Amino acid sequence: MHFPWWYVDQLTAPMLIAAISVIHVLVAHYAVGGGLFLAVETTYAYRTKNGDYLAYLKRHAKFFVLLTVAFGAITGAGIWWTIGLASPLATQVLIRTFVFAWATEYVFFLAEIVSAFVFYYYWGRLPEKIHAIIVWIYGISAWASLVIIAAITAFMLDPGNWRADHDFWSALLNRQALPQIISRTGGALLLSSLYVYLHAAITIKDAKLHALIESRSTRPALLGAVFIALGGILWYVFLPPSAQAALVAAPVLNVLMALLFVATGIVFVLLFLGPYRNPGWIKTPGFAASVLLFGIIGMSTAEFIREAVRKPYICYNVVLGSQMLTDEVAAIREKGFLESGTWTKAFVQANYPQVMSADGHVDRTRLLALPPSDRIKLGGMIFQYHCNDCHAIQKGYSPVAPLVQGWTPGMIRALVNDLDRTRFTMPPWAGTPEEAELLVSYLSDVSPARPAGMLPKDLKTGTP
Amino acid sequence: MMDPKNLFDTSLPGGMPAPIWFVELFKWLGFTLHEVPMNLWYAGIIVSMLLYVFGSEHGRQFGSRLMAQMPVIIALGINFGIVPLLFIQVGFGQVFYPATILMAWFWLSIIAMLVLAYYGVYLYAYGQAEQGPKMPRWKRAVGWVSALLFITIGFVFANAMSLMENVKAWPDLWQQHSFHGATLGTALNVADPRLWPRWLLMFGLALTTTAAWISFDSAWFAGRESDAYRTWTKGFAWKLYLVGAVWFAVAGAWYSFGTWPAETKQAMFLSPWAVLTVVTAAVPCAVLALLWFARQREGEISRGWASLIGLAQFGVLGVNAASRQVVQHLAFAPYFDISRQPTETQWTPLVIFLVAFVLGLGLIAWMIYQVGKVSGKTQTATT
Repeated sequence: MHFPWWYVDQLTAPMLIAAISVIHVLVAHYAVGGGLFLAVETTYAYRTKNGDYLAYLKRHAKFFVLLTVAFGAITGAGIWWTIGLASPLATQVLIRTFVFAWATEYVFFLAEIVSAFVFYYYWGRLPEKIHAIIVWIYGISAWASLVIIAAITAFMLDPGNWRADHDFWSALLNRQALPQIISRTGGALLLSSLYVYLHAAITIKDAKLHALIESRSTRPALLGAVFIALGGILWYVFLPPSAQAALVAAPVLNVLMALLFVATGIVFVLLFLGPYRNPGWIKTPGFAASVLLFGIIGMSTAEFIREAVRKPYICYNVVLGSQMLTDEVAAIREKGFLESGTWTKAFVQANYPQVMSADGHVDRTRLLALPPSDRIKLGGMIFQYHCNDCHAIQKGYSPVAPLVQGWTPGMIRALVNDLDRTRFTMPPWAGTPEEAELLVSYLSDVSPARPAGMLPKDLKTGTP
Repeated sequence: MMDPKNLFDTSLPGGMPAPIWFVELFKWLGFTLHEVPMNLWYAGIIVSMLLYVFGSEHGRQFGSRLMAQMPVIIALGINFGIVPLLFIQVGFGQVFYPATILMAWFWLSIIAMLVLAYYGVYLYAYGQAEQGPKMPRWKRAVGWVSALLFITIGFVFANAMSLMENVKAWPDLWQQHSFHGATLGTALNVADPRLWPRWLLMFGLALTTTAAWISFDSAWFAGRESDAYRTWTKGFAWKLYLVGAVWFAVAGAWYSFGTWPAETKQAMFLSPWAVLTVVTAAVPCAVLALLWFARQREGEISRGWASLIGLAQFGVLGVNAASRQVVQHLAFAPYFDISRQPTETQWTPLVIFLVAFVLGLGLIAWMIYQVGKVSGKTQTATT
């Protein structure tokens, strides 16, 4: 529509956002929780003058800096890259709404980077008190970053009153912000403890030191678990009705929700069985790695669900997955999809001048006069710009061809004309009846025949 | 024939959240700040690698120093890069998104290359810290790979930035790299004559920044190195700056005289922008002169003089960034005028950001002060 659409075969472009986001959050939450862990524990180790613990914390700080400052920062930029490529309209809305929230978050990020390096590289050279202050600067800055980013991502699920007043504060203080801040804080605390368990299991041989780390890390882990549960409940309570319904109605989300509960449950059980009941278990790298693995599964699944429940929106009630604003749909339907899109219109102008009117508009009445092959091609373009956000073609992510396998053109036509009523997780059809016919031609072309050999035979056509 | 003007969307939602001058100012400031560390990895890593193979003992010493500093430099460079990226999207989404989407796979490859290059630098830096001259060859090779990856990243960036300005090329690139009217993201702006000198120009500039850094590092951070090393840096910094300045001048001349469209030439070579063009071309000479004077003086370079060199080089980068911004505007002019976009300034968030910015800078200054205090003590103790 407003921007060119990027076709990524099989995967679809938005799935790249999901892929990079999931990888990023696994490190970013550790960057926050691990920062708070280092702040609390370094202060504790200085207070108790525990040299062995300080030596371990320094080793952990090296691992922490290597993972979070490098990989975390780059994958964070990677999210910027992919959202700009795969969802430019939504990105534009977010950027213009939250530029100063992001700019403020940037200041915290800068403080994080500087304090992380000073903390690690000047270990043993700075006075203890100053050293502890530096790591607290890191921890607080990292958490402040989390608060701002969580509020922005929460806006995508609940823009609150912003639609009415377009006010920055309405957007930032949306109903989903607090639940997501609580659950992400919990996720950060829990995940960082799991990282610490694994790191300690691999690098520490001293049983006494190991026991200390275990007991110290279990508290934030349990606190994190409580925050996750509380934030999760609030998240569900404040979900928009369509998102709540999607959780029940979409089979994929059913499976993912089950996976989320199972993985989170396993983590809680392992924490209970391990650090709480059998403190020695967590010393074995295998056990520690298992707990972290289930934590990663739980967090990745939660992130995917958070993205998926928004359908058909990218920003709830603001930007649709079909890359248009909700406010634009009626006008686009009236004017025509091909005519309304900057890039679709330019494509038609360049490649199908015969359908352009004398005054330079797409003449909808001429579309159906095109030869069948051209109708299919133009239908393919409509599919790309209207549908490819959520559907691959033949194979891959939710491919459309198997979804309409064996359908008659009439069935496809009925679906296209009533997209959002057939399935509320799909956007409304935003084109003219003639354009719907082009899309029907394309979908009929890519749709495979009904699988052969099925009984009973097709009762209407008599074909197997 | 497709008219590129038809690819411009003028109906984007929402107004600018800040005054135009504010967006322009932070885009300029952010890019100038980003240029300092970016120049150091762009040219500095390959210079360090070359010095290890062909350099003198002091040359290798400098290369080791720079590579040891590089993880921090890269982190700051990535961080500073966020600012111009943010403000370019605020003000120039109409050109930024289409250009990067047309070359999406290459644009996205920057992230993968950056991960590899950054960890390569870490591997090299830790290798030389822990194993010194006995560092295995494969780790040295990783250093070379990182250097080449950063240069490649520079090439992809030059592509994206030049494609933003080369709106005329969009229709053909789109048609050639599309599937049912959707872009495949496999286009590159290599047919644009502006791309190559622009890429090379930036490398010349990066050489000059690396040279200025040699002086700055020598005066401020190389207290534990020998007097002979610090004296050597004066001569080497001057020579490297000279090479960079000549490179910058040649590529700059090619870029401006050979590839600018007539309208850009007319604007940049006549008043009032002619002053900026002349200053952009001439200002590296000022830093070169400062380095030359430093070289003529006895002993090692003073901290004051090195700071002056650093500040002057920051000015070189700032003037260059300003010129880029003006040329960018001239390229966009036939298609859209940023100043005509509606503005709905978010004053309270803007003020909060500025307060956070000042406090954040204060906090960072305090941390650097603490580091300076213990570094000073260490150096005094060593002496």
